[in-house]
Amino acid sequence: MPIYYLRLAALSYKRNPVLSTLMVLAVSIGIGAYMVIFTLNYVMGGDPIPHKSEQLYHVQLDISEAGQDRQAPVQLTYLDATALMESAPAQRQTTTSKFGAILEPGNPELRPFSILGRGASADFFPMFDVPFIYGGPWSGDADDNLEQVVVLSRELNEELFGGQDSVGEQIRLHGTNFTVMGVIDDWNPVPKFYDVNNGPFDSGEELYIPWPLLVSMELSRSGNTNCFQAVEGSGLQAFLNSECVWIQYWAELPTAADRATYQSFIESYAAEQNALGRFQNDLSRNRLYDVEEWLIEEEVLPDETRILSALAAMLLAVCLLNTIGLLLSKFLGKAPEIGVRQALGAHKGSLFVQHVIEAGFIGLLGGLLGLAVASFGLEGIKILLGDDVMMTNWIQLNVPVVIVTIALAIVSTVIAGLYPIWRACNINPAIHLKTQ
Amino acid sequence: MLKMIDVSKVFRTELVETHALTDFSLTVGEGEFVTITGPSGCGKTTFLNIAGLLETLSSGQYLLDGVDVSTLSDYQRAKLRNQKIGFIFQSFNLMPDLNLFDNIDVPLRYRGMKGAERRERIEQALEAVGLAARKKHVPSQLSGGQQQRVAIARALVGEPRFLLADEPTGNLDSNTAQGVMELLNEINDKGTTIIMVTHDEQLAQRSQRNIHILDGRIANPVLTPLKTPGESTAAMA
Amino acid sequence: MDIGPIFRAMTRNKLGVILIALQIAFTMTVIINAIFIINERSRLMARPSGVDEANLFHLVSVGFGEGFNEEIAARDDMEMLRRLPGVANASVVNAVPVSGSGSGTGVRLTDDESSPSNFTAIYRVDEQAIDTMDLDIIAGEGFTIGDVRNRQRNSEAVSDITVLTETLARDLFPDEAVNDVVGNTVWVPGGIPLQVVGIVRQLQAPWQNNTIERSMLVPENVIDGSSMYLVRSEPGQRDRVMAEVEEALVAANGSRIIRDMRSLEETREGTYRIDSAMSTVLWVVIITLVFITSMGIVGLAVFGINRRRKQIGTRRALGATRPQILGYFMVENLLITGVGVTLGAVLTIAFSILLTTNFNMPAMGWHYTPLGMLALLAIGQLAVWGPSRGAARIEPAIATRSV
Repeated sequence: MPIYYLRLAALSYKRNPVLSTLMVLAVSIGIGAYMVIFTLNYVMGGDPIPHKSEQLYHVQLDISEAGQDRQAPVQLTYLDATALMESAPAQRQTTTSKFGAILEPGNPELRPFSILGRGASADFFPMFDVPFIYGGPWSGDADDNLEQVVVLSRELNEELFGGQDSVGEQIRLHGTNFTVMGVIDDWNPVPKFYDVNNGPFDSGEELYIPWPLLVSMELSRSGNTNCFQAVEGSGLQAFLNSECVWIQYWAELPTAADRATYQSFIESYAAEQNALGRFQNDLSRNRLYDVEEWLIEEEVLPDETRILSALAAMLLAVCLLNTIGLLLSKFLGKAPEIGVRQALGAHKGSLFVQHVIEAGFIGLLGGLLGLAVASFGLEGIKILLGDDVMMTNWIQLNVPVVIVTIALAIVSTVIAGLYPIWRACNINPAIHLKTQ
Repeated sequence: MLKMIDVSKVFRTELVETHALTDFSLTVGEGEFVTITGPSGCGKTTFLNIAGLLETLSSGQYLLDGVDVSTLSDYQRAKLRNQKIGFIFQSFNLMPDLNLFDNIDVPLRYRGMKGAERRERIEQALEAVGLAARKKHVPSQLSGGQQQRVAIARALVGEPRFLLADEPTGNLDSNTAQGVMELLNEINDKGTTIIMVTHDEQLAQRSQRNIHILDGRIANPVLTPLKTPGESTAAMA
Repeated sequence: MDIGPIFRAMTRNKLGVILIALQIAFTMTVIINAIFIINERSRLMARPSGVDEANLFHLVSVGFGEGFNEEIAARDDMEMLRRLPGVANASVVNAVPVSGSGSGTGVRLTDDESSPSNFTAIYRVDEQAIDTMDLDIIAGEGFTIGDVRNRQRNSEAVSDITVLTETLARDLFPDEAVNDVVGNTVWVPGGIPLQVVGIVRQLQAPWQNNTIERSMLVPENVIDGSSMYLVRSEPGQRDRVMAEVEEALVAANGSRIIRDMRSLEETREGTYRIDSAMSTVLWVVIITLVFITSMGIVGLAVFGINRRRKQIGTRRALGATRPQILGYFMVENLLITGVGVTLGAVLTIAFSILLTTNFNMPAMGWHYTPLGMLALLAIGQLAVWGPSRGAARIEPAIATRSV
């Protein structure tokens, strides 16, 4: 019987092609537009590392001046970051910052070029489940001993070594030779949760080196530096001792107990510092954020997509109101047929099923066309954003969105159709049989 | 057997009350061919709609094969209509976007019959009205008479006990109408009870029994057909 | 035309009226707020930066290798660039307006670090920069070559003079005439006094926030491994000069690379990419909505007219003229749209309040709502014009036909 009704739905479509096409268009535009925004929100506001986002914590220490109702700094000072690295009780933890440097390829055919790199601790890679193609991360000792080791991105390895296993090879960075320890696969968590305030939708860096080298080699930092007090004195050491924040700090704390231990550690650290005249604010502002809390705290989801969500919801509402009107016209236009069906033995239940399927059929077509509208819209947004300002390769339809699109199209069309369907089922057959 | 006892039907709107049928009592026996005549608005169609379970009655009692239908739900009424009653209409009321086969298929679908049996019955029904070769055609490709034959095939395919016809020849020229009437007579001869609303006095006179309705009441409560010229004139008005 | 009968007929088809009215209300809400957002963004994008954007471009020179001396390289580059035909002037700067990245600092009127400070962008530039940027000095003077100090990385400010933008000057010295600000001293963190030697009319900060008009310039040459050059070409020669400058720089020194070479127009385009993308997306939404809503009005009008064909024929038979039939449907649409835009006005204002409170947007001008109502009424009338014409063409004879 459902197949029979599906056939009737198709026939009914052919009977009023203009009206039916209008409905399909309305549904597809409404759903398609909504899905474009939904995709943006889904990815931008999504969980970039779902299997362990509740075990990874951003550490926030508040060195801002007392009494000012400002947001606590989102990064750490050198003093605090090194102190935490020294003694904070985490299974794994990492300091990380972005830098820029000049890379001189061994290959004389290639000219030196500038790269964006990331200083990270050895734990960075296992903490964030960074996938390796060749080799692996450096050891914790390499951090402590300032070893000149490097992990390359797949792309950079492609460029420098033609994609070969380059473990053990040398590259020259900022005038110093580095030994390749590993090559990672494409790894672009969206948003880039481990460094959200330096471009949450930028692509990953081209290479990774032990974080302490940033300081020892005086590499140029690329990212925000905020000083909460004037630097006292001149030179590198003065900067390191200053109240300038520029370091991202993350800890892996798998259990609630780990988290509690860590939290009490930073509280007592803050209290110690408070006694020394730093950390003058409310000590509860020194705290941990898991990945999702951190993305929300930092308002990573742009205003634009949130405003567009509301507008897209209203656009969908208009399209569905439109569909209600058109379905009503269509179903009431079928009154004589409905009358005949009743005379031939259709009861209200069977008429209901028939018209739910008819509405669902329109919804299905609308959903399929909506997918086209959505992928067209996403391509358009990609073009509008360009790929030089931010990474846009994640802007694409994915399986959950496709499923939601089609389901939403069918369900919303059927819901929009409920009143027209109810009217269709309650047509008095007697009126419509006499003349047609 | 169809039996109505003191059936009344009142249509109410905010302002007016129309008595379409008043204390209407009638019994139609198995295998009868009854014609219903009467002026426009006299209640003929209301009677047919009530008889066909398309409309409920305001008061009185209606027994279809001994079952009091006034208490039945929409679902039960639809089932009963599907199994026991066939309809044919003045304007044929074929589904324009279904071909002949699918048109005749409609009541069988509602009966939930299996595919093979449906196919067999539809072929037979089309054969019986002489349109087997045109089962893939849609109604608009047929003449009026052919369309009415399809409608008759559709009404009969479920082998109903009652055939309710509302001016079945009203939209046909007299030759075609003649053919349709012959078909109906054949059907009646095979045992199907027919109740036919008509304007055509001659047809009425030829039937076994004629009921003349005036203002919602039976004007000739006599069981045998009346053939007085006066009545005929009244019916034509 | 008598509205009474039209209105009474409408009340008999409440659902149709409600459907169209709601569509119009939502459409109006989206369209008006979208246009407001677009206008707001274009207003932000249209703010001039104060520099000669059409002829400026910038690049970064990064040295590598032991033999590279940034200070000497920059000095030689400047000499060479300023002699290049088509180059009006060139400067070493630490940041470029509109680019989104630069330095900022708090600035005070005393050396007391606990006193309130004004946040401002700080441009560390050479003595030619005011000319290179083509800034307008409205009081005092600019820098001379003797003013420029080298500033090593991670060191405090070393300069002792500054040029302020007019806005910063007014914010710091609200009670003084702009001319009188020259000669005053301001302090930056670290207890460093800077004497104000000049005021420029305008120079935007590199970032887009509410302190965008506050900037100060100091004559400093930052030595930190990479130098940013800002070059102004003679009018109309920018693209040619850009290519020549790159070649000349590459040829001049092999132990450095040139990167991020962009015209200021490209930089602006990149900085405001999201705003212009947002505007385009909103235009698409507006056009789509107008289309969908018009189709809805047309669809329901056609349906309503077909349902009433006989009635219309009868009216014609009773003597209604074509313009009267046309008028009937136009007025009917006007009434329905009227209900819609009234509801829409409420929704529009509610949504705009939502935007103001949640998204840091300014309040919408009062004129948006009435103009939106008029626009939607016009759209409704246009959409129903076709179907109404069709209705007016219905023949009176249809009244007597049975089918």
